[in-house]
Amino acid sequence: MSKATDVEFFIIEAIRGIGRSPLMSFVAIGIVTVTLTIFGFFLLGVVNLGNVVSGMAAKLDLTCYVDRDLAPRDAAELQLKLSKMEGVEKVTYYSKDDSWKSFKQDYSGKLELSEVVSDNPLPNTFAVKVRNPEVLPQVAKNISQMSEIDEVRYSGKLLGQVKHFVDVIRLAGFVFVLLLFFATLLIVVNTIRLTVLARETDIYIMKLVGATGSFIRWPFVIEGILIGVAGGILAVVLLRGSYDALAFKIASAFPFLPVVSDAFLLNFIFISVALCGTVLGMIGGYISVSRLIKNA
Amino acid sequence: MIELKDVSKVFQNGVEALLNINLHIGREEFVFLVGPSGAGKTTLMKLLYREESPSIGEVIVDRIKVNEIKEEQIPFLRRNIGVVFQDYKLLLRRTVYENVAFALQVTGAPRSQIRRLTMQALELVGMVKRAKSFPNELSGGEKQKTCIARAIVNNPPILLADEPTGNLDPQTSWDIMELLDKINRRKTTVLVSTHNKNIVDGMKKRVVAIEGGRITRDQQLGMYSQQ
Ligand SMILES: Nc1ncnc2c1ncn2[C@@H]1O[C@H](COP(=O)(O)OP(=O)(O)OP(=O)(O)O)[C@@H](O)[C@H]1O
Ligand SMILES: [Mg+2]
Repeated sequence: MSKATDVEFFIIEAIRGIGRSPLMSFVAIGIVTVTLTIFGFFLLGVVNLGNVVSGMAAKLDLTCYVDRDLAPRDAAELQLKLSKMEGVEKVTYYSKDDSWKSFKQDYSGKLELSEVVSDNPLPNTFAVKVRNPEVLPQVAKNISQMSEIDEVRYSGKLLGQVKHFVDVIRLAGFVFVLLLFFATLLIVVNTIRLTVLARETDIYIMKLVGATGSFIRWPFVIEGILIGVAGGILAVVLLRGSYDALAFKIASAFPFLPVVSDAFLLNFIFISVALCGTVLGMIGGYISVSRLIKNA
Repeated sequence: MIELKDVSKVFQNGVEALLNINLHIGREEFVFLVGPSGAGKTTLMKLLYREESPSIGEVIVDRIKVNEIKEEQIPFLRRNIGVVFQDYKLLLRRTVYENVAFALQVTGAPRSQIRRLTMQALELVGMVKRAKSFPNELSGGEKQKTCIARAIVNNPPILLADEPTGNLDPQTSWDIMELLDKINRRKTTVLVSTHNKNIVDGMKKRVVAIEGGRITRDQQLGMYSQQ
């Protein structure tokens, strides 16, 4: 057994196979490219959406109210206690007097408050910033259990809705990508099958002179890999170019949207896309020749 | 070398191609298989290299129970049996040399061995000069010689030839038969099916006749038809 000769044989046979029906091979590469590009855009969309959501969540604060009067010392003590809680990043204190002052300032002229209420109706407020949005509900629950705090508010409903939305998109996308994968697989299988049928005599003779199933299969698997790799590389080239251009446009049109530009994450996505093409081609090549390998 | 015990073959469509065949062919024998069209000659040969399986009975080739081996073992059975067809089955996009070498490549033989054995086989059949030709540039006889070279290139103990002269003129047919005889004298067991009366009568070999799937005659130094 000389494996180097075998590998050389497989590769030459695979290239012969592509050369035998170049048009179909081009079509297959094109289709793989299109599917993988869609797939890649989808992945990029999902990571960007995730980025937007966590950006939004980061802006969400907890607001804790204390109705009774607080001496500055008690307030400072409570502030310290809150900031030591798990998951809490920063606590800012707004005394009821401060709040009343700024409130009156904001509404001066529009509304004569002193005519409606003589006393300060606002509570003392602690604005609590959490480390990450996932712990928000838990921190809120812990704080609301503290006897010193009268009420805790946060826009948990909005956060839940946004998260739900992202989950739905992820699931739909997953199903979509799966369908896309199988559609592409079908096309790759059928393309290679055309070259398989053109080589039916070759395969018959290979079997006749004692080639094993895997030996017969390798050239077709390699042919599939070549198609998949070509499609994958083209898709990555397309994705890279258009993502950079698109990200630049979005960033300048909507500066508040956090566009993903982390090179590591992006490269990871591009490599996944290319690998996906390779695997797709490999499976396609493998399946395409299966029926003919079966012996009587 | 070849043994069939109570072998019958009924195809799925109900055709009884072989019925209760008992046949023994010894090491290094040369045997003609004769009989009218549809008698079951091709079917019998296909049983030997497991392109078909018997409905009942036992097929033994070179001590291997062909009807019992697993599918993964079939390739290794076939490396011991060279097969030659009436319609050659050469690969049209490959040269004579490549067609013969192909049979070695697909068994994973090392490069140096491929060259040496391929040249030896071409030498034996007298096709060295045409090594670089493509099949469509060859005469029928040359195609058949290429096909024989491919069948024997890895030196199998058994050579099956199914109507190897079916498409050839009388003189070329004789050349091919002499070639098969030469291979037989190199200690290869040879089984040849044929309709060619002159050749069978002229070669004076063992003749097995089948008709309607049954062996009707088995004769040393036999003739094409009953005397
Ligand atoms: N795959 C098959 N399915 C069904 N019937 C078959 C099959 N192969 C052969 N037969 C039938 O089996 C019988 C024997 O066929 P076979 O090819 O063995 O004959 P043969 O002796 O080789 O004939 P010829 O001299 O014409 O080549 C025929 O009746 C044929 O129609
Ligand atoms: Mg026949």
